[in-house]
Amino acid sequence: MTNQELTPREKQELTRDEQTRPGRTYVPDVDIYETADSLWLWADMPGVDEHSLELNVADGVLAIQGRVALQDYDNLAPVYTEYNVGNYARRFTLSNEIDAEHIKARMTNGVLELELPKTERAKPRRIAVAAS
Amino acid sequence: MALFRFSPTLDPINALLNLQRELERVVDNPLGLDLGLSGRGVSPAVNVFSERDGYVVRMEVPGMSPEQINIESHGRTLTLSGKRDSGAPQGGSFHRRERSSGQFSRSLQLPADLDLSRAEASYKQGMLTVRIPKKEEAKPRQITIKAA
Repeated sequence: MTNQELTPREKQELTRDEQTRPGRTYVPDVDIYETADSLWLWADMPGVDEHSLELNVADGVLAIQGRVALQDYDNLAPVYTEYNVGNYARRFTLSNEIDAEHIKARMTNGVLELELPKTERAKPRRIAVAAS
Repeated sequence: MALFRFSPTLDPINALLNLQRELERVVDNPLGLDLGLSGRGVSPAVNVFSERDGYVVRMEVPGMSPEQINIESHGRTLTLSGKRDSGAPQGGSFHRRERSSGQFSRSLQLPADLDLSRAEASYKQGMLTVRIPKKEEAKPRQITIKAA
């Protein structure tokens, strides 16, 4: 597993929701991981910094949006290209078990990390069995 | 060669669209530049740009640290390699796993008028950028007219 080569994966273009601004939007690759207390989400959004990121939770839907910085392309003329760049957008429906008030977000090296804590009610609980 | 300005301050509405069209145009009609690449569809993808004083090679490798990226030059060949950790925490389970991890290596054969010994690399927001200047004699030069 550790020596496996990076698998080729094309950027996925978002085609369902039309954006108000012209241009392509891409769906970031995500990992979702569950621990006893939280759900963790990591999203690859290269070219996006913490200031151009927008996170919203409304009606149980988590919306992630990131805008890429175009300044990095100033005065450059493409001569060979394999990928396109664009803004990122993706939405997830949250279950009632997520405490939306306490979601934590962090952006490091183009990866968004979200910690979605579970509500107290949803956390697993060990029930002690008393010996009779 | 025309250099484009994709500045949002100049054209806030269409800056991104213009850049995307320009990148697209090159995918559809390669400018005949043979970089000796291992081929499209190999991960991670690279984009190559030209600027006034040289070339810029860019690769999207989010979630790495500069120490995990190795950049080597040998003659005219530039090799970008590294290993992206899956960073799997303990004590839980994955619901979704789309982000790729593992080793990668890509080599590009660059034009002979570039000076790889003066190449500079930076890593920002998950984007690796390598700037390779042209050799001094290949740089654009102002030619003054002598008085007769």
